[in-house]
Amino acid sequence: MSKVIEINDYSWKYINTRSPALKKINLSIEEGSFVGIIGPNGSGKTTLAYSMDGLIPGQYNGIKHGTVNVFGKEVEDYKTGELQRLAGVVFSDPESQFTAMTVEDELVFGMENIGLSIPEIRERLDWVTELTDLKHLLEKPPYEISGGQKQRVALAAVLAMMPKLLILDEPTSMLDPVSRVRIFDVLAKIKAEKKSTIIVIEHSLEDLVPLADRMVLISDSELLLEDETHAFFEKTQFLLEKGVFPPGVIRFFHELRQRESFNGKYPLTLSEASASLRQLMKS
Amino acid sequence: MIQSKVYIQVKKLYFTYPDGTQALKDINLEIVKNEFIALIGQNGSGKTTLSKCLNGLYKPTSGDVLVDGLNSKDSSILQMVRRVGYVFQNPDHQLFNNTCWDEIAYGPRNIQLPKDEVKERVEEAIQVVGLPRIYHHEHPFFLSKGLRQRVAIASILALRPEVIIVDEPTTGQDARQSREIMDFLKSLNEEHEHTIIIITHDMPIVGQYARRVIAMANAQIIVDGSTADVFTQADMLRKTFLAPPQITQLAQSVGELGFNPGTLTVDEMTGQFFKLTN
Repeated sequence: MSKVIEINDYSWKYINTRSPALKKINLSIEEGSFVGIIGPNGSGKTTLAYSMDGLIPGQYNGIKHGTVNVFGKEVEDYKTGELQRLAGVVFSDPESQFTAMTVEDELVFGMENIGLSIPEIRERLDWVTELTDLKHLLEKPPYEISGGQKQRVALAAVLAMMPKLLILDEPTSMLDPVSRVRIFDVLAKIKAEKKSTIIVIEHSLEDLVPLADRMVLISDSELLLEDETHAFFEKTQFLLEKGVFPPGVIRFFHELRQRESFNGKYPLTLSEASASLRQLMKS
Repeated sequence: MIQSKVYIQVKKLYFTYPDGTQALKDINLEIVKNEFIALIGQNGSGKTTLSKCLNGLYKPTSGDVLVDGLNSKDSSILQMVRRVGYVFQNPDHQLFNNTCWDEIAYGPRNIQLPKDEVKERVEEAIQVVGLPRIYHHEHPFFLSKGLRQRVAIASILALRPEVIIVDEPTTGQDARQSREIMDFLKSLNEEHEHTIIIITHDMPIVGQYARRVIAMANAQIIVDGSTADVFTQADMLRKTFLAPPQITQLAQSVGELGFNPGTLTVDEMTGQFFKLTN
């Protein structure tokens, strides 16, 4: 598998802050993988996302050490806009990315900008509005729809560009549980198509964990833990100490293990948890 | 019989927006002092509209909202907001003064309280929300979202409402911040005897903090009951497109082993496990 992202000893300090936002980060991400990034607010997760999209150092003033290599090239070596065609970011505050007067224009804007033909734009618009359930909102102004709908528009606008690397910064923070599941269903479909590498920054872990191949913990500007998802949650005690709350079923089995009533692997999903619990009560 | 005073009474409430969207249909509701309620439902189900009817910002299209004996139709917004405070989902939609102090003093000044009393109330509210002194004369926008939310809540507290409605208190907060905010609301409920209504999508938070759940769908109330009762009505919840917390679902999926389907927290689940296996 080739690497989509290679980050080596990377540190970044914004010009107007005293301490660095990221310190000595080392991380590599394989093509086609699904990576969850978690950690407390203010720990540097969003800065890391911006670094992988070239927004940093391009759009921000600061001091950089180390290297960030995306698709085999240092982010600084890309021409303006070139990397953004390969990598799409969905921001946590969807309003910050809206520019158009209708949802439809919002979705079409990016595609026109990269010079797609009208039939191609129509086809992608159909695909993406179906996928994110936005057909009925196309005529509405983006500022008149609900927070959850805004997040779906923001996601759709980026998906329409079919980026090879998709970075989502808290894509479901405003959504009700069903809309959240719907977004994760969309991500599962995109994962299954294996055309994109997906990086998701999230606080709500119950939907993220079953999809993630690997997990990364960022805390206080440092990468503290990075591993395959099962192995990552084996360190639940450490995560709790860092203020991260694993999903309920993992915390339950962690409690049991702490009291020496369980010594198997922590289940990551509800169905795994039911099976483990039945097994445990039988013995 | 326990003496409980009905503080809010909603009778056959309908609300239609000027563009014709019917946001509330036949809402009937009684809220007693000192309850801790979670109002849940899909985006667009009517939760925020209902809240705005409860604090008099919106007047019913038909039906009645009675708060502390006052009918919202015949009462000024100022009378209502002194009884029911509403904290916006995004604190930035609510904060507009240049310092935190002025922000919190805005309400009391607006109802023309004397200077001494304004000062007293601001200081009381600041103390309750625990806003560090260094921020009192800071612009709210330089604060973190968690702190801005505290300023927003303090500005509501300064009016000393009986009922405080907080729209999505944990959105965008990490696990530790969410807990801090919820523990703070819990202390308002338990130590200061405020009635708390949270609007939220976070089911683990509902399971852990709310004693009553009101679920809405399509402008109507679908279920209203104790948290454990509501979370055991899986079919009803599916109608509102909601699911109980993951730990509750685990307890329900292994009901044949003797777990209570109304289990709400990891601690409860662990307790039952050791009872059942002993």
